[in-house]
Amino acid sequence: MIDPLQASTQIASSGLEAQSTRLRVVSENLANASSTGRAPGSDPYRRKTTTFTAEMDRAAGVRMVKVKDIGSDQAPFRVDYEPGHPAADASGYVKFPNVNSLIEMGDMRETNRSYEANLQVIKQVRSMVSMTIDLLRS
Amino acid sequence: MLDTVSSVFSSAGELAKTSEVFKTSSVAPTAQPASAGMGFNNVLEQVAADAIGSMKAGEAASIQSIQGKLSAQKVVEAVMSAERSLQMAVAVRDKVVQAYQEVSRMAI
Repeated sequence: MIDPLQASTQIASSGLEAQSTRLRVVSENLANASSTGRAPGSDPYRRKTTTFTAEMDRAAGVRMVKVKDIGSDQAPFRVDYEPGHPAADASGYVKFPNVNSLIEMGDMRETNRSYEANLQVIKQVRSMVSMTIDLLRS
Repeated sequence: MLDTVSSVFSSAGELAKTSEVFKTSSVAPTAQPASAGMGFNNVLEQVAADAIGSMKAGEAASIQSIQGKLSAQKVVEAVMSAERSLQMAVAVRDKVVQAYQEVSRMAI
């Protein structure tokens, strides 16, 4: 079993990595918010989702957070009537990605809050460790 | 940087070795939770080795991040661990030097 304070740093660090991955997925979704398919009637970009899982770290004996998998959102695509669009089907309808930028913004804000919380844990650990070491320097 | 640090620690280790009085002084039991056969200089050497090892890990992580192979979070974690070990080792060394000076100033 390692030092609990050091373990806290490692756990918070795994949280930071997980939230970074989530932000990457959000940025992918936002950037592709209007990426349509190439061929007429083809499917556009499908929104990606991030799920997390607790994973036991054998070396440290603590449970870290990890990105379980990056799945795809099965919600229906938005359909618009745009006959001039290269991806329009025979009746002139184009399928647009099922990305809602408001939801992505909310997700992004949540990612930010979680990242801040994990950073705060690291700061707290550092201050506690340095307070303890300061006892030696009386 | 590591060379200077290691030389500082080795000199501290020499100091502890030459001053055998620490083995029987009251400082030793507090800093030595391990077996009774372990001298104070062993403890000091171990602390120094830990500090140098984690600093090397921190430097390696920094270099890897410059090359774009490692995330910023991992680098911060490694460097913070190194910083903590170094602070700990420096504090212990200061305490040893302080104890040595107190002994050397003792009126006989």
